[in-house]
Amino acid sequence: MKKEFICIVCPNSCRITAEYNEQQIKHIEGAQCKKGEEFIKNEIKNPLRTFVGSVKCRNGDYQLVSVKTNKPIPKKYIKQVAQKTHELVVEAPVEIGQVIISDVLGQHADLVATRKVRKKVL
Amino acid sequence: MINKDVVIIGGGAAGLAAAVACRDKGIEDILIIERESALGGILKQCIHDGFGLIKFQHSYTGPEYAQKYVDQVEKQEIAYLLDSMVIDITSQKVLTVVNKSGLKKYKAKSIILAMGCRERTRGAIGIPGTRPTGIYTAGVAQNLINIHNYMIGKEVVILGSGDIGLIMARRLMLEGATIKMVLELLPYGSGLPRNFNQCLSDFDIPLYLNHTVVDIKGNKRVEAITMAEVDHNGKVILSTCQEVPCDTLLLSVGLIPENELSKMAGIQLDSLTGGALVDEYGQSTVKGIFACGNVLQVHDIVDNVSLEAEHIACGVEKYLSSFLKPKNDIAIEIGEGLRYVLPQRIQYLDDTVFSFRVKKPGKKKQIVFKNDNRIIKEKSFIRVNPAEMIRIKLTSSELSDIKHLKVELN
Ligand SMILES: Cc1cc2nc3c(=O)[nH]c(=O)nc-3n(C[C@H](O)[C@H](O)[C@H](O)COP(=O)(O)OP(=O)(O)OC[C@H]3O[C@@H](n4cnc5c(N)ncnc54)[C@H](O)[C@@H]3O)c2cc1C
Ligand code: SF4
Repeated sequence: MKKEFICIVCPNSCRITAEYNEQQIKHIEGAQCKKGEEFIKNEIKNPLRTFVGSVKCRNGDYQLVSVKTNKPIPKKYIKQVAQKTHELVVEAPVEIGQVIISDVLGQHADLVATRKVRKKVL
Repeated sequence: MINKDVVIIGGGAAGLAAAVACRDKGIEDILIIERESALGGILKQCIHDGFGLIKFQHSYTGPEYAQKYVDQVEKQEIAYLLDSMVIDITSQKVLTVVNKSGLKKYKAKSIILAMGCRERTRGAIGIPGTRPTGIYTAGVAQNLINIHNYMIGKEVVILGSGDIGLIMARRLMLEGATIKMVLELLPYGSGLPRNFNQCLSDFDIPLYLNHTVVDIKGNKRVEAITMAEVDHNGKVILSTCQEVPCDTLLLSVGLIPENELSKMAGIQLDSLTGGALVDEYGQSTVKGIFACGNVLQVHDIVDNVSLEAEHIACGVEKYLSSFLKPKNDIAIEIGEGLRYVLPQRIQYLDDTVFSFRVKKPGKKKQIVFKNDNRIIKEKSFIRVNPAEMIRIKLTSSELSDIKHLKVELN
């Protein structure tokens, strides 16, 4: 079958057409770079997404610390990761890159902080 | 009155990049003035990823991208004031600043405007109906959820398909809300295509093009909206009116550069961009006052904000060392198919990056730069989209002996 995809890897948003069946991808057209082809291969087999969200933070100058998975994970786990972030509370200070959950849901990616949160001065 | 070489108004992506670039060029006496209690601007609340792909070949979130510049500002010991608001500037480059300790006046040799933009509101687009709570602009909702940990509603309709609305659709969904639909007046989406994919399609959120909200119901809180289809002239087709129960309406209907201060200084604005009218160094019609970032033109990609700010820092440095001498004064003519072109005039004929947006989506298009009938530069595009700003550089040799410059889309 033939399908048009929009690559989400960079803001170029290339429209990529792929011809494929269950066994193999026959033809890919419209990607401006190699990353796009890689994206389509995953998109057909097992779509991957980076999760972004936030986790409650205690005693910080922000009430929330924003988080992301440090690698894209299968799209089907995104909602479950969101659920996990709702259950957590971390303690300030937090540094960018600090691991909040390692190997989240066993998907070989860590949930890491993306905001620096200082301890609140009382 | 305190004297400064460069005062930067706004500590967002634009102001921070301008400050770091000015210091890199050897300017010592710089002051950033920011009205919020932290540097970073709008990036602080943009916790999604996709920032930095052009500049750093890496996908950062907004807070991470901002922190890179904040770290530079700290490391280079560039002075900044927080919780301080500039309330007036004059054409003589005198700034009035208020903060907790009172009112202060600064006299700057050069000013960089980096105040960002604000969102269009319900008033600006005129939806009739009652005025219950539960109506938010998408950026305000983003701030409440991502910074203040305040969930804004359970059943949400989004009007307008700008990037902030799309990003918020996904965010609200993952925080447990139901996104009933996104309505867009135009026949095409106004955000980046990648956001339609990863924010709507991924979660089966329906998008209705050629649709709008014609009424809002509810006494204390929003109870329902009425949606309707519009014809190709944008006129509501009454027979299509349909009530949609919801408790929240999110408006993502565009951004407007924040230029109240610029007007006070007597700077001429461009009605097409909503920002200052500038030369190729981002210098406004008041000499020594420069502009960059969303206050100059609404950007979709922060990398371009940083690049623009770094470029205008070159202009500021030249201005301070009196090297900014006009060679010519050519007003750029905007041809078919383009909504605006920046800069609006060129005077120095150095290498110049032109940025512009097309009026509507198209396939297989060319952007052509012409001096009368002579083609100076041509660039082909498989697709063009109003949501994606186009940037094209012309070198000083390409600009060397032009008398006139027109940009058009063919
Ligand atoms: C919701 C949203 C999502 C986006 N998503 C992406 C994305 O995915 N990828 C991407 O690359 N780009 C994205 N962008 C675009 C990019 O992030 C912005 O264009 C950029 O950050 C704007 O920077 P700025 O410095 O011009 O404005 P701002 O960040 O708005 O900074 C302006 C600053 O000036 C201050 N200020 C204003 N007036 C005064 C005054 N009178 N006195 C003192 N201070 C003042 C404000 O407080 C603010 O801090 C997004 C933008 C938004 C709004
Ligand atoms: S194919 Fe390459 S250039 Fe095109 S959107 Fe994907 S990553 Fe960007």
